[in-house]
Amino acid sequence: MSADELMGRLSPSLSPWRRVLGAVPLVSGLVGAAFVGLLWATEPGPLPGRTQAAFAVFLAFCLAWACYGGWAVTRRAPLFALDRVIAGWLALAASTVMTVVTVTAAVQRGTGLLLAAGIGAAFVAVSAVVTVRAHVRRAALLRRRRELTREEE
Amino acid sequence: MTDELLVLRCQLGEREAFAELVRAWHVPVWTYVRRMLDAERADDVTQEVWLAVFRGLPRLKEPARFTPWLFTIARRAVTDRLREEYGRAETPSDEEPPAEDVVTAVVDRAELVAGLSALPVLEREILVLYYLEDLSLRECAEICAVPSGTVKSRLSRARRLLRDHLVEKGFQP
Repeated sequence: MSADELMGRLSPSLSPWRRVLGAVPLVSGLVGAAFVGLLWATEPGPLPGRTQAAFAVFLAFCLAWACYGGWAVTRRAPLFALDRVIAGWLALAASTVMTVVTVTAAVQRGTGLLLAAGIGAAFVAVSAVVTVRAHVRRAALLRRRRELTREEE
Repeated sequence: MTDELLVLRCQLGEREAFAELVRAWHVPVWTYVRRMLDAERADDVTQEVWLAVFRGLPRLKEPARFTPWLFTIARRAVTDRLREEYGRAETPSDEEPPAEDVVTAVVDRAELVAGLSALPVLEREILVLYYLEDLSLRECAEICAVPSGTVKSRLSRARRLLRDHLVEKGFQP
């Protein structure tokens, strides 16, 4: 088997789409689970059994989706430096939107404002840390690449 | 281009760098795997090695230490495959052992290579890494996860076994 044949076999695994298809479920699953969980937890009155079951099913679906994403980015198609930066911004944007929506809902209902703001802030903070770390890591790699390129010239 | 630069470009996510890395290291990896396994399995295991390399590259902390890291992955893949085969070999099987494979006999024309395939796995592996892959004692020790002293003693035993084998075949020492 030649190197080109091997690359042909490996190409599907190296596709950027495969990495995106890991990061998107992870982010959307986690943020979706937090969103559904918060809506459920901050419901002002007692809910009918069917509504509770619907919340539980939707929450389980989001968690399963997040687990799939977690498995994909750790085992199937790990994220390279640029992918991590993109995934970080995606997570930050999704967390911010989720926080704004859940806090607004909590204000309108008059219950669970602290819970929504706390969990939303935690999500935004974690996403921001992940994004900053991804940028720092990518900047370090780019710096080292410039040094090595200069040494070779 | 140095391996470190190539690995850094891969870690940054440059697709062309992946192809360059494979072109640069495919033959050494395949040679190592082929000397440890027969031709048919060598292709599959080589592909497994490269998949594991690309999955692990984002987590590689020292790109300058790419070579021992690569061969550690290759070694793990070969060991897993050999373990599977030994597991199957414990049950009765009609399959021919790899050493008696006709294809192997055709491909391994050189007596040295044939002699190499007759050695036990650990001794064969150390000869391939040290002489065919031209790795240092320290790198061999890192890949095999043993102290340098053990590498030296394995090398010495491997050379003796290979010499005995070649003498048996009629070569003069």
